[in-house]
Amino acid sequence: MKEPDLTARLGPLTLKNPVLTASGTFGYGLELKDFCPPAALGAVIVKGLSLSPWPGNPGPRMFEVPGGLMNSIGLENMGVEAFVTRALPPLLAAGATVGVNILGRSPEEYGRLAARLAGTEAHFLEVNVSCPNVAKGGAAFGGDPRAVDEISRAVREMGGGKPFLVKLTPLVSDIAAVAAAAEGAGAAAVSLINTLPGLAVDLARRRPRLGGGLGGLSGPAVKPLALRQVWLCAQALKIPVVGLGGIMTAEDALEFILAGAEAVEVGTATLIDPRAPLTILEGLKDWLRREGLPNLGQIRGALRI
Amino acid sequence: MTASPAPLIAFGRLRAGRRLSADTFWLDVETPAAESFRAPGCFLKLRGWPEPGPLLDRPFSLHRVQAGGLQLLIRRVGPATRLLCGLAPGRPLKITGPLGRPLTEIIPDPADFYLVAGGVGLAPMALVLDWLRESGRRSRLFYGERSGRHQVDPAWLAAWADDFTATVDDGSGYGRPGLVTEPLAEALAREPRPILACGPPPLLAAVTGLAERFGVAPWVWLEAGMACGLGVCLSCSLPLKEGGRFKVCREGPVADGRTLDWEAA
Repeated sequence: MKEPDLTARLGPLTLKNPVLTASGTFGYGLELKDFCPPAALGAVIVKGLSLSPWPGNPGPRMFEVPGGLMNSIGLENMGVEAFVTRALPPLLAAGATVGVNILGRSPEEYGRLAARLAGTEAHFLEVNVSCPNVAKGGAAFGGDPRAVDEISRAVREMGGGKPFLVKLTPLVSDIAAVAAAAEGAGAAAVSLINTLPGLAVDLARRRPRLGGGLGGLSGPAVKPLALRQVWLCAQALKIPVVGLGGIMTAEDALEFILAGAEAVEVGTATLIDPRAPLTILEGLKDWLRREGLPNLGQIRGALRI
Repeated sequence: MTASPAPLIAFGRLRAGRRLSADTFWLDVETPAAESFRAPGCFLKLRGWPEPGPLLDRPFSLHRVQAGGLQLLIRRVGPATRLLCGLAPGRPLKITGPLGRPLTEIIPDPADFYLVAGGVGLAPMALVLDWLRESGRRSRLFYGERSGRHQVDPAWLAAWADDFTATVDDGSGYGRPGLVTEPLAEALAREPRPILACGPPPLLAAVTGLAERFGVAPWVWLEAGMACGLGVCLSCSLPLKEGGRFKVCREGPVADGRTLDWEAA
């Protein structure tokens, strides 16, 4: 039987398949290459980058809860300059389609990050307006359609035409309104959900479990919430939606696609098994073969509620 | 210098288990990948409980590599270790490793050492003793526990450690009552030697302080909660005195204790 067609389209981008890595779970793209060759995936989205290196939050930085992980890494990263000069060239040479996650404290910083990446061979940007683990910016932007609009415009104006995704926080009352702001400002797609802001408490020590205090929840526990937000956005938007949140298996990924996702990102699963994105990709192919379907278009967005 | 063996994902089977104290268990895991774990200093991630169980694999250092199997010393402290310590022989286990840098890379020229184990920090010391013995080096092991109920069966310990001093904080078990750092300080005063210590952070910080007082190197074997074990999640890293962070999973698990910022850790 013919190989199933897995291509996914994010605006002007055509990805060879719909399985991407979630930022912060695949390093700068090559750390896990022996388990999961980056070129095999639809795209690799690297660890979020700021203008200058960030040290991140104090430990403990991770705490397991039933069905999920709480983290407060605090966006530790090498900074965009080191990434562009040191990490990006070998990742491109390895044949990866590269998405660069960027994060700033103001629309102006996002614009400068986009400008720095505009002249590189990176394929697209993912604009993080939704990390719960930074005091300024992060999720504070992601809850406000006007801030999302302003940041998206800054990225579009300074990004030299490079396609960009806007990564959204789930903790908003009207996700479709925030997503529409990104769409209106020229985003090629939106990706959601970022981790869900949360708190884990150490009763015996009367303090938070995480050194950063509050944290972000990921893993299987967040999947139903992520599916709902993805479905709502897919209903409301013309641009594609990239779904993530607790995708551990190919079946999980297929549920997101059925809910309307054009592509998916795999995160927490990769931290447990570095082969997870590849295993999920193989699982998608197997499923299409078993169902006798030529491509995912047959089920994408087919969920009726 | 030995190159770090590339990590792999392998399957194993629980071959035998034995209880060594109220909460310490010895597990023997048969796996075709056993030989790649022989370098002291490496660790692995393990899972094998009925799913859905704990989400993350759990990291453990290697106690011994023998007869096509990996021997682990595990303290039952939470849900995952409770499940692992209760598994029946025959149970399939998933192994990711070897992770971390081998000791032979971190300490290319071993000297005569004082080894210090706090609690289940005893686990990696058997492979270390073998390595030092093979390098023609002497070593003496100091093994401290909080109370007698945690102390491993002394006959089992004596079977692999020929020169050890046991201490017990509250005096409720065998060995000398008090902190493990007390006989260590006495030994350092008589004959200074570099130290390799594994145990909870307060012990490692205290050992580092002692080593600085006596002008010897403190090598600390770090334990840290972690997710990936492969350097991408950045959850296990510890602050360095000179700025930046030390990735326990990739750059460790052994570090020079003087380089770490114990106050901020």
